Amino acid sequence: MKVQKLFGTLFMLLLTTVAMSQEKTITGTVIDQTGVPLPGVNIVVEGTSNGTQTDFDGNYAITGNVGQVLLFTYLGQKSERRTIGASNVIDLQMEEDAQALQEVVVIGYGNQEERKIIQNVGIVKQEAIENLQVVSADQLLQGQSAGTQIVNASGVLGSAAVIRVRGVNSINSGSQPLIVIDGVPITDTAGNTLNRGGNTGINPLSFVNPNDIESLTVLKDAGATSIYGSRGANGVILITTKRGRKGENTTVTLDVSTQFSQSTDVPDILTADEFRQFKSDIATIQNGGVFVSPEDLGLGAIGSGGTDWLGGVQRTGISQNYNLGARGGSEKTSFFFGLDFQDTEGFIIGNDQQRAGARINIDTQVNDWLKAGMNLGITNNRLNRVGIENNINAPFTTAFLQSPVVPAFDDEGNFVQSGSFIPNIFARVALNTDEVKTFRVIGNAFTEITPLPGLTWRSEFGIDKLNLEEFVRQAEFNTPGGLAQQIWVNEDRWLTNQTINYSNTFNNDHTLTVLAGLNYEETLRTRSNVSSTGFLTDDLRNLGSGATPQVLNGDRFPSRLFGLFSRVSYDYKGKYLVEGSIRRDGSSRFGANNRFGYFWSAAAGWVLSEESFIQDLNFFDYLSFRASIGTVGNDRLGTFPSLGLFNAGGFGDYNGESGVVPARRPANPDLKWEESETLDIGLKSTFLNGRVNFNMAYFKKTTSDLLLNQILPPGTGFNSISRNVGEMENRGWEFELSTVNVRTENFEWRTNFNLTTIDNEVLALNEDAATDPQGRRIIDGPIQRAIEGESLNNFFLIRYVGINPQTGDAEWLDVNGNITNNPGSGDRVVTGSPLPDFSGGMTNTFTYKGFDLSVLMNYSYGNEVVIDGLRFADGNDAIGGIVNVRRQNLNFWRQPGDNAFLPSPNSSTFDLFNQRSSQQQLDASYLRIKNVTLGYNLPQSALDRLGGLFTGVRFYLTGTNLLTIKADEMDGIDPEVTDDIDPLFQGESFFTAPQAKLYSFGARLTF
Amino acid sequence: MKTIKIIALILGLCFTFSCEDQLNVVPEDNVASNTVFGSLATINGAVVGIYSKNQSGDLNGMPQLISEFMSDNVNFVGSFPALQDIDQFETLATNGSIDNIWIDAYELIGAANNIIVNLPDVSTEDVTGLTEADKARFVGEAKFLRALTYLRLVNHFAQPFQFNGGSNLGVPIIAMPFEGGDISEFQLERSTVNQVHSFIEQDLLDAIASLPADNGERAESGAARALLARLYLLREQWTEAADFANQVITSGEYSLAANYDFYDDNPTSSEHIFVVINTPTDGPQDESVPGSDEVYVNFFNPAPGGRGDAPFSQDLIDAFAAEPGDRRFDELSQAASDAGGNDTFFTTKYPDIVNNASDGMELRITEMYLIRAEANFRNGSSVGDTPLNDINMLRNRAGLGDLGTVDLDAIALERRKELCFEGHRRMDLLRNNLNLRPGGGPESAPGANKVIFPIIDDEIVNNPNITQNPGSF
Repeated sequence: MKVQKLFGTLFMLLLTTVAMSQEKTITGTVIDQTGVPLPGVNIVVEGTSNGTQTDFDGNYAITGNVGQVLLFTYLGQKSERRTIGASNVIDLQMEEDAQALQEVVVIGYGNQEERKIIQNVGIVKQEAIENLQVVSADQLLQGQSAGTQIVNASGVLGSAAVIRVRGVNSINSGSQPLIVIDGVPITDTAGNTLNRGGNTGINPLSFVNPNDIESLTVLKDAGATSIYGSRGANGVILITTKRGRKGENTTVTLDVSTQFSQSTDVPDILTADEFRQFKSDIATIQNGGVFVSPEDLGLGAIGSGGTDWLGGVQRTGISQNYNLGARGGSEKTSFFFGLDFQDTEGFIIGNDQQRAGARINIDTQVNDWLKAGMNLGITNNRLNRVGIENNINAPFTTAFLQSPVVPAFDDEGNFVQSGSFIPNIFARVALNTDEVKTFRVIGNAFTEITPLPGLTWRSEFGIDKLNLEEFVRQAEFNTPGGLAQQIWVNEDRWLTNQTINYSNTFNNDHTLTVLAGLNYEETLRTRSNVSSTGFLTDDLRNLGSGATPQVLNGDRFPSRLFGLFSRVSYDYKGKYLVEGSIRRDGSSRFGANNRFGYFWSAAAGWVLSEESFIQDLNFFDYLSFRASIGTVGNDRLGTFPSLGLFNAGGFGDYNGESGVVPARRPANPDLKWEESETLDIGLKSTFLNGRVNFNMAYFKKTTSDLLLNQILPPGTGFNSISRNVGEMENRGWEFELSTVNVRTENFEWRTNFNLTTIDNEVLALNEDAATDPQGRRIIDGPIQRAIEGESLNNFFLIRYVGINPQTGDAEWLDVNGNITNNPGSGDRVVTGSPLPDFSGGMTNTFTYKGFDLSVLMNYSYGNEVVIDGLRFADGNDAIGGIVNVRRQNLNFWRQPGDNAFLPSPNSSTFDLFNQRSSQQQLDASYLRIKNVTLGYNLPQSALDRLGGLFTGVRFYLTGTNLLTIKADEMDGIDPEVTDDIDPLFQGESFFTAPQAKLYSFGARLTF
Repeated sequence: MKTIKIIALILGLCFTFSCEDQLNVVPEDNVASNTVFGSLATINGAVVGIYSKNQSGDLNGMPQLISEFMSDNVNFVGSFPALQDIDQFETLATNGSIDNIWIDAYELIGAANNIIVNLPDVSTEDVTGLTEADKARFVGEAKFLRALTYLRLVNHFAQPFQFNGGSNLGVPIIAMPFEGGDISEFQLERSTVNQVHSFIEQDLLDAIASLPADNGERAESGAARALLARLYLLREQWTEAADFANQVITSGEYSLAANYDFYDDNPTSSEHIFVVINTPTDGPQDESVPGSDEVYVNFFNPAPGGRGDAPFSQDLIDAFAAEPGDRRFDELSQAASDAGGNDTFFTTKYPDIVNNASDGMELRITEMYLIRAEANFRNGSSVGDTPLNDINMLRNRAGLGDLGTVDLDAIALERRKELCFEGHRRMDLLRNNLNLRPGGGPESAPGANKVIFPIIDDEIVNNPNITQNPGSF
């Protein structure tokens, strides 16, 4: 390219010399502010088509007449004009254009210069994510932004991560943030697919190709979110996809990679012979020392074989990723085009995914007052699902629990029945089908009219169309008679945003921006769920071939939202900034008496680095303080939460006659959104010549009108009535530090670190809530208890102490802290919390010549998890003793002095040992090396040798979840678990399939 | 330019006004409460809805299953802790399986109350096609189903009549529907067993008066008479018990089936007086489990298909083995291994493991013969026929020879073999002052605290007037 440019310049030079010999030739050198020559500066004689560029050494030559004006332009520099005078030499030092270099950040319904932002937003820019190889976009956020906690529930493909912006803000309504892709708030209904345990519903973020993403903005404080009104309370994640730049050469990027996937860590369980020996040893002891053989117990003789179930459900998954992106633009039109194909194999048998996606983003400047464009992303996904967690069809759970002496195959290699309700999981996976196909279009078209300078009317029409089909076919072997089930869901949202934006600077000092807009959305979810049973043979696949077809669901859920909003920002010299916003939202979900809600925010900021007394310190490049306060709502209440209804269909029908029955909830026309009020105070700074960035923020978020179910006396025939009565607070600190630790000519080391602390407190529960013996109101669950005045999430369990080395009895503490061998539910106390004291992430990036290495870690400290499945995988008696156990169970108490894991088989506590207690509560603090990427970019010389075909060639190796530092007791168990997105069940798991350990290598070619 | 701006503003304003109207969205798959009494179809629908409630597995299925394993017919080997607790007489008030029985029962009662209280006020002039006869029949059906449910509640949540002559606490009697107002009328103290029994008696007498003799597969007057006979048997009112059982037998509406084909999807069999009809499509549903919600079918059947949790007890196997050739064992059991891997036998009375849609046995003519025989025997009477003839008739159907004489034990044994897995055994043992388990200890003895269920925690927490049963719940 450079060579061509050189020739071009010379040719131009010759041409101009010949053609315009009567004019004089001006020569000169263009340098930048540091004195380095600038190659490629555009120089034109204004008003003519006569132009040239500087060469490698910043030199140029151009012809022109005296009095004509030369215009020098270069990206990132201030444009300069020089009038041709008497001299034949015009040298120029260009200056950096602060305005142009200013990063612009996407915020709600607009953009803002980063240095003028007084909202609290977490920004994840392209450079932080472009080298991450991830399956879905939620993983791009993990560990990158303070206050945003992502818990990947498992390594199962298609499972949705739990995303929390500043903690849990609701009890009974949804707590997931609103996700907006290029201005389209997308739907994320969890119930669109069959429940297969845990969060395996379709991940809403799997519908945008991570490679298409330019940046992510997490809106955190009310100043940022209140413009989203009744949907802002859980935070908002804005995803902006890549766009072309006007006047940019087209670049094409092809990225091809291969990935290998394995499980990170699985529990160590007994082999068939160990299991036989274990059962025989225990039975012998319990039999007063008289030998009981494994055969006596019906387990077969030692050495008679068995099945490695856990080994059999795992594999090394091999995946292929292809990604093609093209971006560029002419003077008026710019475009981005993306195409991707992922063929992913999970590390669990039966778990595969194929995704194909395409995106086209186009902007065009039609004329000087009209701009138009379109963003369109299409994804087609096919997923073979497996169950997880407390589900007998979950390969991992069943492989942990299935007895190792149970054979999977007979001598001829045919599947055999397991003989118990824990199925032969190999047969389930091999013979059954559970496939989800989704097709989704998310996009919008817009026009932007600028009738007057500074005034813009932007009109957007968007769509989010989800088409989902799930097909299940259970084979005769697994389900006598067979079963086919098919679910179709159409979830369509169309919306329009109309905004008018006026921005102007008065007297050079006063900048005012006013935004006013409306937002209307209509969502319709339609579902058909049909099944059929009674198939003659497995070869008859589909619904129509079964003897008993039945419609399980056929329904439509409409909802509508209408909002009017406005935001006004004012700053004086970019030094003193104020901003206010208001939104009025009406929603069909709210009760008739509370249909409209008002949400507002006010924020102020002071950029100290613009003050002379700070500038005199010569230390800060940038320093600002800001504060904001405001309100936002949460409308995740369901579709018709306020009406009293009679249910029809299967609920009311009897013997072929149609009937209706009262739904379990009476009417409440007063029902409304949950409202959060947030106070946020923050500081942002840059110093040491831009080498250190430090930001911190404190927030306090009080959520009132929490929707709580007031339990009705059962005599009413109703379950509960939802009322807006609860109150909860989240407060915490967020810190972000990014540093350039070393910067030499060839070597650079950068570190980004973030840390968040969140304290949660339930301020008020409903007056009629259950109370504990101290008289505090509570919401009780089998594992957790929310207590008024304390955190929403407390593990509330019997305290397990251990095995008494002298007696061999298991010991617990009663409610008073005394040792007991026979605790009851009254001995439950607060034993831990699933909420971390602090959590966050750290990225270290090293570059050396063409090499770059980035290491992303995330961590969580001070939280616990409860692995409920250990009640089965530890001890001797679960499910009649037929299930396998972890290896540490071999260490049972035999004689005084033993430090045993399991009590003496003769102890009265032997079968009580694995009852629910803090024995299943484990320390979940961890530090995980989430992603390591080593890349090598070919140097220019090598590219030249390739004939200039490529402008960039990059090879890379990536490892994901390579190492996790965690407590010893977590051996074989992943600390990053939670089997439910329900706020009341955080940190609980039955048996989560572990995270995937991924290795990939690939190449990225740029043309 | 100006023009564009003006158009924009106008467009924007139009949007503002039109959008607000758009926010009134009505549900498409439910009926709002205020329209239910608007048509004959929806009134009938609301009555059908009560049957649908009655057909839920938590009201018809689980209580029977639990009664069978609490007593000596079923050896429970399942892994659900809530059921294990009941099996081991360690039930707590927070037990999730019991919770559903209480809650579903009062939901049904609420739905029935809605008809019983509100339908009489609906004018036949306002609803096309509605007649006074329809209204009486609908109210009669609601009363029958309400009585059936109250009897189920009082049998499980209170000590039987024999405990203290019926003066002990029963369950709260709710006779009004909740319509969103004051909840204190629904926070009642428990009435005594006698009060609950007489409430049931009155409902059934009203139902007998207003129900037709033949009402298809819905409740008819014979069903109300049969249930009343059962109530009198439980109350040891032998004369009335024999009389009402005899009325059903002699009504001509029902007769002993020739063989045992009435268990599997045969609701029109002459054997049935009132059967709970389960179909694959009648829900209530859990979306991930196609078919009906009668999960107890899973417990009664071995893997694959079932869970294999509720096989025959050894005691019941022995009882059948004592007199070989009994068709009620040979034709109604299958050999298989249970959830614990032991070889044993399972009942085939609930065979539909594909859709869990096996019918629930509620009232069948055999029970009327057994009631008549027992009541006659105890009363020294022979209303309709002698106990010996009644018992021999049932034995002959089972392929067994005639007995020469009968005594109470022989009647009780026949009753056990005939009605096993149908939920009668626990009450039969308790009312006869027998331990629920052969060789059982004090925990399973009649009158023990946990041979009945605790009042559920939700009721205790939300009803300050309720009294818990004795025992540490």
